[in-house]
Formats: sequence, structure tokens, C-alpha cells
Amino acid sequence: MAELQLADVLVEMADTLVDDFDVIDFLHVLTERSVQLLGVSAAGLLLTDGRDTLQLVAASSERTRLLELFQLQSDEGPCVDCFRTGRPVSVANLATATRWPRFTEAAAAVGFAAVHAVPMRLRTQVIGALNFFDTAPGSLDPDKLRSGQALADVATIGLLQERAIRRRDVLTEQLQAALNSRIVIEQAKGVLAERWHVDMDEAFGLLRRHSRSGNRRLSELARAIVDGTEQMPSPAVP
Amino acid sequence: MTAQRRIRLWTRVVEVADGGRVTLGTVCTALIEAAGVDGAWASVLLPANLRETVYASDAVAERLSDLALTLGEGPGVDASGGTPALAADLLDIDSQARWPVFAPAAVQVGARALFALPLQVGTIQVGVLDLYRAAPGSLDDDQLADALLLADTACAILLDAGGMDIGSASRPHLDAHHPEVHQATGMLIVQLRVTASVALVRLRAYAYAHDLPLRDVARSVVARRLRFSPDPDIGDGGLQ
Repeated sequence: MAELQLADVLVEMADTLVDDFDVIDFLHVLTERSVQLLGVSAAGLLLTDGRDTLQLVAASSERTRLLELFQLQSDEGPCVDCFRTGRPVSVANLATATRWPRFTEAAAAVGFAAVHAVPMRLRTQVIGALNFFDTAPGSLDPDKLRSGQALADVATIGLLQERAIRRRDVLTEQLQAALNSRIVIEQAKGVLAERWHVDMDEAFGLLRRHSRSGNRRLSELARAIVDGTEQMPSPAVP
Repeated sequence: MTAQRRIRLWTRVVEVADGGRVTLGTVCTALIEAAGVDGAWASVLLPANLRETVYASDAVAERLSDLALTLGEGPGVDASGGTPALAADLLDIDSQARWPVFAPAAVQVGARALFALPLQVGTIQVGVLDLYRAAPGSLDDDQLADALLLADTACAILLDAGGMDIGSASRPHLDAHHPEVHQATGMLIVQLRVTASVALVRLRAYAYAHDLPLRDVARSVVARRLRFSPDPDIGDGGLQ
């Protein structure tokens, strides 16, 4: 497979933005592409919820332990520091990091050795961070760090959606809507996991495949599944 | 990070309650003070797109609420779609274009700034909390954070229907930042054959009854260690 280039990813994301796109799906694809592009093991995107807490909105994998690790950073971790300072944070070797004991221990338990975070900025405001994990220790080289920052900037643009952000208030409105969309996805995962006796990761896969094949917006489909107005996609039907 | 803000706000809510029950009114009083607004009203969403005002802090709030109901537009109406609507000045071009009938009428009644926050948990739309200011001006970051957190509390209270006793072990926190709570809600929809709203209420009720953190109960459901039964005679929590 040809090496994935930043330009290819940016073109793909820009194409998505033209359509009537779903912000959660968009951010999910973005985390997947950043894993491929940067050669890291996992990526997650956290946004401020306006209540001093960072919330995970999208991740390259929905593995429960991974999601918990991302979310653990609502209290402490590189993502929180990155969000607070508005600057990238890079830990090349978690084994020697002492700043975030709870986070470091949890990251090690999942098998990660290095972690990096780049801020999502809109002018002077920091709205979240894009977070990368790697199983091998090592720092991100400057090119990759720049690519990571470019992807974080694209994510910010995606969140702002169709409306020109003249006011901070509009940004707040969009952020809150995106965070609630993520909750709808979690509720739908629960419905599918129970209905088809699958785990949460597989439930998300079902939801996403059904959204793709039916050309439905991920959040709309999730909402319909929770409301019971949509026939739930079966794992038996590809 | 949130813990300190939560503790400060909850302490204030309890002070306002003054030994009585924590109600929607208590929470709104604390919210008006924390967010630096002049008044607030709360409406719940009923089936068939109907709305009902369940609380208004003063006569202006009451009149604003009536206006929104009568005209069918305004920040609160927009927020019932799930996205907050924040208008720092109802006389600016954006607000006038967005609510051509409501905005001037609201100014007449005595409001220059309006902030409508949806009371929701994913697909569960409980209602809308509207805050107004007589003078124009945005909520600053701190005021917004306080307003959002107390709106979560108001949402929990409306969800659980009614006030709660101060002495009870549980506090009306929404705990919306734990994905397991929402996953468990989804699982309960199927186990109990109920709506998302009822599923979340049942999950919360179980946590109260067993004096367990909501998150722990949700985790047990997601891990399939705890199942809920649709049969009320069996009760919740039968291990299967």
C-alpha cells in the first residue's frame, strides 16, 4: 500500500466537509487517518464540555479500555495539559514520566509506551486536543508533529460546520451539540450490543457499516435506533 | 478540574434550599446568581411537540415564556432541537434575523440577552432552561460553565421527576461524562422494552436504591453482570 500522504488526507476530509456531513463520523474518520498517517497505534479527539472537563468525542478504535484511557484524561494527563497550555505535549517514554501517575499506570496497562497531544485552537481559544498513543517509545518527528497539528486544525474546521464563527457563542453551541451527538452514539451502541449480544466495539462497527451502506448520517441513524423508529442492523447482514 | 466547581455549586444549592428539598426552583435560584443573569424559566417537552413551563423565577420570565409558547420561536424553541441558543443581544442583526418576531417582543418585555440550554441526555430531551438578562452581554466562561453544570442538575431533577431530599445519599448529578451510563441506558431500552428516558430513570433509581455510584451500576450492566427485568414482580438486578 502506498504511503498515506497528508495531502491525500486533507483532500479526503475537505471532500467530506462539502457534503451534508455528520460531525461525529467526520471526526472518527479523522482519528483513523491520523493513526495511518502518523504511524501511531491509536488516536482520540477530546473536546471541552464547557464545564472544565474534556470529553472523548471520537477515537480510532472503540475498544472499551482504550476509550477509558482517553477519558481518564478528564482528570489528568497529557491531553489536559495540552488543552490548558494550548501547546503540544509529547511524552516519548511513559515509563519514565512521573507527572500523571494514574494516567501513566493506565496507559501502561493497555500497553502504550508513548503519548502525544496537539491542541485544537480557534484563534485565542483552545477547544480540545487530538491525542495519539504508541506502543513503541519515541518522540514524533517534527514533520509528523506538523501533520498532527494540521489534522487537529481540520478537526476544528469540521466542528465549526457550516456557520461562520463570528461569536464565541456559536462555537459553544456547536461544541455542545457535538458532545450530545456522541452521547446518542453511546446510547445506540448499548441498544445494539444488547440486541445482538455483541461488545461495544462491534456495536459501533455495526452502526457505522449500516450508516455507510445506507448512506445515512451516523448520528441520525443512532438516534433512530435509540428511538426505536429504525430497524436495527443485524450483524448477520453485511 | 470539575470537582471544585461542582462542590461549590452544590454547596450553594444546599444553602439556597435552607434545610428543605432541592427542587428545580432551588437550582434555578443558585443558577441565576452564579451565571449573573436576572431570571430564568424552565419548560418541559411533552409529546406532539408541546411544551409546558414548569418554573419561572419572576414576572418577566413568565412573560418571556408565554411569548415563546405563543409565537413558537425564540432561543428556547431552537434549543429544544438539542443545540443551545445563546443570544448576547436580542437587538443585534443575528438575533433579529433568527427570531424576527420573538426578539423585538422579548426586548419589549424586558430582556436584552437570552441563553437557552437544552436539558438533554443524548436522545432524551427533557426540556429547556432559559436564562435572561435585562442588559446585553455574553456569559463569560465561568458563568457559562456554572450554568451548564446547574442545567445538568436541573435536567436530573426533571428526569427523576420532582424534588429530592437533601439528606438522601444521592445527589442529582447527571454523570453525563461517563460513556458507560449511556451504553447501559441503551442496553436497558432492550432489556426493559422502554424508552431511553425510562431506561435512564430506572438505572438512576437502582443506583439510589442500592446506594451505589451510577457509573458502577452502569459498568455492571455493560459487563453483563447485572440485568434488569421488565417484570416488576421480579424487580431489578436479578442476576442471570
